Amino acid sequence: MTGVRTGLVALSIWLAMPSGMADTGPAAGKPLEEQIAICGGCHGEDGNSTQEAVPSLAGQPPLAVTNQLIYFRERLRQSGIMTPQAQGLEDSAIQALADYYAAQPVASSSTTRDDTLYDQGQGLASQHGCSSCHQPDYSGQRQMPRLAGQREDYLNKAMKDYRDRRRGGPDTTMIEIMTGTPDEDIHALAHFLAHLEAD
Amino acid sequence: MFMTRRSSLTALAIAGLTASVSPAIAQQDASQPAWAQGRPESMQGAPLSPHAAPLTVTPEDQIPVDRLRLPDGFSAELWAHGMPGARMMALGDEGTLFVGTRSIGRVYAVTDNGESREHRIVVEGLTQPNGVAFKDGSLYVAAINRVLRFDDIESQVANGEIGEPEDLTEAFDLPDDEHHGWKFLAFGPDGRLYVPVGAPCNGCDVDSETHANIRSYAPDGSDMQIVARGVRNTVGFDFHPETGELWFTDNNQDWLSEHWPNDELNKVTEPGEHFGFPQCHAHGIVDPERGEAGACDDVTLPVALFDPHSAPLGMRFYTGDMFPEDYRNAIFVARRGSWNRSLSVGFDIQLAMLSEDGSRAGTSPFMVGLHAPSENDFLGRPVDVLQMPDGALLVSDEQNGAIYRISYQAPDYQAQ
Repeated sequence: MTGVRTGLVALSIWLAMPSGMADTGPAAGKPLEEQIAICGGCHGEDGNSTQEAVPSLAGQPPLAVTNQLIYFRERLRQSGIMTPQAQGLEDSAIQALADYYAAQPVASSSTTRDDTLYDQGQGLASQHGCSSCHQPDYSGQRQMPRLAGQREDYLNKAMKDYRDRRRGGPDTTMIEIMTGTPDEDIHALAHFLAHLEAD
Repeated sequence: MFMTRRSSLTALAIAGLTASVSPAIAQQDASQPAWAQGRPESMQGAPLSPHAAPLTVTPEDQIPVDRLRLPDGFSAELWAHGMPGARMMALGDEGTLFVGTRSIGRVYAVTDNGESREHRIVVEGLTQPNGVAFKDGSLYVAAINRVLRFDDIESQVANGEIGEPEDLTEAFDLPDDEHHGWKFLAFGPDGRLYVPVGAPCNGCDVDSETHANIRSYAPDGSDMQIVARGVRNTVGFDFHPETGELWFTDNNQDWLSEHWPNDELNKVTEPGEHFGFPQCHAHGIVDPERGEAGACDDVTLPVALFDPHSAPLGMRFYTGDMFPEDYRNAIFVARRGSWNRSLSVGFDIQLAMLSEDGSRAGTSPFMVGLHAPSENDFLGRPVDVLQMPDGALLVSDEQNGAIYRISYQAPDYQAQ
């Protein structure tokens, strides 16, 4: 799959590209430690994000992080921030990052728990059958992400993005599930999941 | 690494990404992913859902080629690998193999120098470019919903520069439903391009003029004709080497039962005939919700059945000289394997032997070893088969992004 001819392919296609398309992300080709530092700038060094609407990666199933990074790299999922960041990351680098974050402990939520909202969210999660894919403890499995202990603002954003068809990618499961879900239900679900204590 | 390369096609491809799920369909069954449509209340918590194909390269030492088992005399080798999501295959006149995918959005080209194979990406960033076909120097690619034609493609691959394709999307004017919207493509002996349009649902009432049919077109996308109706979701077909008849596999409805309806091998005898969906399934089972008594009376029943949910996809008649005479005009069928059964089945290549008059076929395993029944697990997922000019058979394995080559040498039992 590699060789002299393949090298020429790279050059010729690169020259044919519109400007701005050829860039590789800042983490591409770096050692894992440096990549973790770069990703940690937003997602937290230990994968627990302290930035608004930036997801925590700590405790995520490796395949969940792997698939999303590949969607970004392949431009199958569009994000002004993450699509450029993922350019040039090799499969093996993506998998190493995913393994690193999977092993990090999940921090407790920094927002105050509202028991009424929490209970409402718990009821909705049960009613929607979220646990049938995300597991009874909402720790996720395979390509389905951990929801327990995720940032509340991020959960709100992600669910609304799915509902409003702003979040693409080859896996349309969540778009279909979120269709027509009202804001107040999303707020309750996000509050419950964010405050669900991690194992 | 090839991963970093982007052709200017990417920008073009992104434009098509907003049309993901058909709103009409999604709203019919809000709060359910497409694959869960029709799941009964009693199955809500069942651990059954489609197995997502890996998007990453499987290291060569983890590709299970040594686990493949075939009849005596046949052997399998790893022919090409490193192509996540490899599915449907089409061969160019000069020997370039084109390989479609679904989730990862790429089409690969594999070139062979006689000893080893190289691959590169022809196009990427498409929505499920499953369908690939080759004719008169051009590669045809069908995604959801786009049809592209790359002219003089083998020279382009050899030169290392892939130019802009002709966009035939408007001419073909196919529905853009995501559900069962991925395409298989093949040219018929009549020189026309055959394209299926699946049912945009697990089970639903469909207009047989727009969905759940197989169509044929002039290569430029004009002159659409409906070849078969009532076809839920075919992802593989071929034309009988002698009669020219269209034979196709079909995947039946989920959630009705662990044990029915069986998946199908079918044959088109009359243009436009109806194969039953959604009122009649498999060998004549009336749909409990949409079918009435007699729903199977006027539909064409299958030539052969496969295990329920086993997902027979790519299929080709064998016309080569390498395999024994028995195999001549028999059909190899790739079964991707089940998800909608608690006891899994499939993950193999089946051989369908036709009756003398071609009205029936019997099936039996040809390539096994990727299914681990005792673990209820699998190691690979065959999606397509393709006969090479020397008579060897290629098998694509979507799970491992690999292509195996199966060859034959008569066993010498006396020598043992």
